Amino acid sequence: MSADRYSRQSFLGRNAEELISRCTVGVVGLGGGGSHIIQQLALIGFQRYVLYDDDVVEESNLNRLVGAKSADALAQTPKLQLAKMMIYGLQSTATVRGSACRWQENPEPLRECQIVFGCVDSYQGRHELEVACRRYLMHYIDVGMDVHGKETPVIGGQVILSSPGGLCMRCMGFLTDERLAQEAARYGSAGPRPQVVWPNGVLASTAVGLAVDLLTNWTRRGRAHAYLSYDGNQATVKESITLRNLPARTCPHFPESDIGDPVLVEL
Amino acid sequence: MESPEHQLEELKRYCTKLKAVPEGGVTYLYLEQLRLPAGCTPAVCDGLLCPVARDGYPSRLFLSVQVSSPYTRNWNVSNARIAEKNWVAFSWKVELKDPTLARLLIAHLNGFTKEK
Amino acid sequence: MRIEVKLTGALYDRIMRDLMRPHPFAAERVGFVFARLGSLADQGKLILLNHYHSIPDQQYIDDPAVGARTGSETMTWAMQAVYHGRAAREGIFHIHLHGHNGETGMSNVDSDEIPKLIPGFQSVGREAAHGIIILSRDHGSAWVWLPGSKEAVHAVCVSVIGVPVFVFERRISK
Repeated sequence: MSADRYSRQSFLGRNAEELISRCTVGVVGLGGGGSHIIQQLALIGFQRYVLYDDDVVEESNLNRLVGAKSADALAQTPKLQLAKMMIYGLQSTATVRGSACRWQENPEPLRECQIVFGCVDSYQGRHELEVACRRYLMHYIDVGMDVHGKETPVIGGQVILSSPGGLCMRCMGFLTDERLAQEAARYGSAGPRPQVVWPNGVLASTAVGLAVDLLTNWTRRGRAHAYLSYDGNQATVKESITLRNLPARTCPHFPESDIGDPVLVEL
Repeated sequence: MESPEHQLEELKRYCTKLKAVPEGGVTYLYLEQLRLPAGCTPAVCDGLLCPVARDGYPSRLFLSVQVSSPYTRNWNVSNARIAEKNWVAFSWKVELKDPTLARLLIAHLNGFTKEK
Repeated sequence: MRIEVKLTGALYDRIMRDLMRPHPFAAERVGFVFARLGSLADQGKLILLNHYHSIPDQQYIDDPAVGARTGSETMTWAMQAVYHGRAAREGIFHIHLHGHNGETGMSNVDSDEIPKLIPGFQSVGREAAHGIIILSRDHGSAWVWLPGSKEAVHAVCVSVIGVPVFVFERRISK
């Protein structure tokens, strides 16, 4: 491997390559957002991956799935296989542990991660990932986008950093009982949601930037939580206004004692 | 969540073991080998009672497996992950004023045997 | 068997600040950190450090032959803490700092003295993992006795989940 390979990212710090290569990173969901993230992680130099997706490439994915070709839709290539090929094509000595299932069906490999990217498409799914990341001490970076409104489509999205000991997605006003309840009420009637490539790219890049900063601290901001809100119509990514008036400075939703395998206390 | 002892003793009559497990600021009650109403298949499975509001329901009973019962139910939770296990639940809203835990459980189990 | 250790950045900072404080006569400080267990793939285990106890200055014994020695009061406290943590399967780890950079191992004194504490902890907290953690200025190593085990396993890494993230990997098996 030539020393030139990472020469353009030397501003990240002297030991950046080593710091990045030692990190085990999890990516849950290898669709439009996750495939972007995988490509960027591999380009930057991440070597250790834990991946989850039980889906295959379909025709309707080809407008946004990074790395997918028309032949993959015909062949119904598993998205996990696509991700592995992307990684190995850039990092031939990478370690990739992939599960072609929901992460909840094989949760143990995820617990070795230091950073987990959640690219899932439900509030409940995000909540469950965050709970696991708090239990097993992992930084959780949530990524999501949505298009709503028929007359005037509005593209929105978010990148959220939720870290053990820090503010959670509830604290930051993203996960609410109302949203979870509305989602539960809509169960089974959601249907395919609008998705396009460029918001996924913006959000994935922002998320990967957060992860690199967590490892290298190159910005010296020491950011322990983040809620970045994407407005696709205005083409902006800004700190969410919900952070301005946070009711809590410490998280009341995840007590420090709630870590490790659950211990069921007989009553 | 604090529960008086007699409520817990009452609850124990419906299962072989009763355990508490905290997660995300909520204390869930784990009912090992919960006995289900007549007509249910299986007759017994593990249950997880969430006695506080969640997902738009005032309380919720999760089960370890989907159960067939006299009335077809809308199983709108097929894979909730709580306390590092996967759970299912059907849509059944229980609205009682200050119920004991046992009354709450019975009201949820009635979802198997009441038409609506 | 693969064993990993994790702690938050806030806990790591608290521990380092305490262990780096000078003591009136002891060359080193020691402390106890408590831990919960997590399961990994392939029977591996995750040790999740939870909270830290700083040993008060007055519990140290002035012994120039060693870096730090503490009295019976310290052990009594530690055993009681393990007892109270039984329900949560919370174990205890002896922790101290070697004042150099890079990966560290146990000194001769460390390996003679500290493992002797483990059977006592195991007798009180049977379902918990106990062990030893030694930090350096920029690294950390851990030796873990799983429940019921007489032998220690040298953890493959200690991860600090803070800002920044640190991953202290075991290079040398000791």
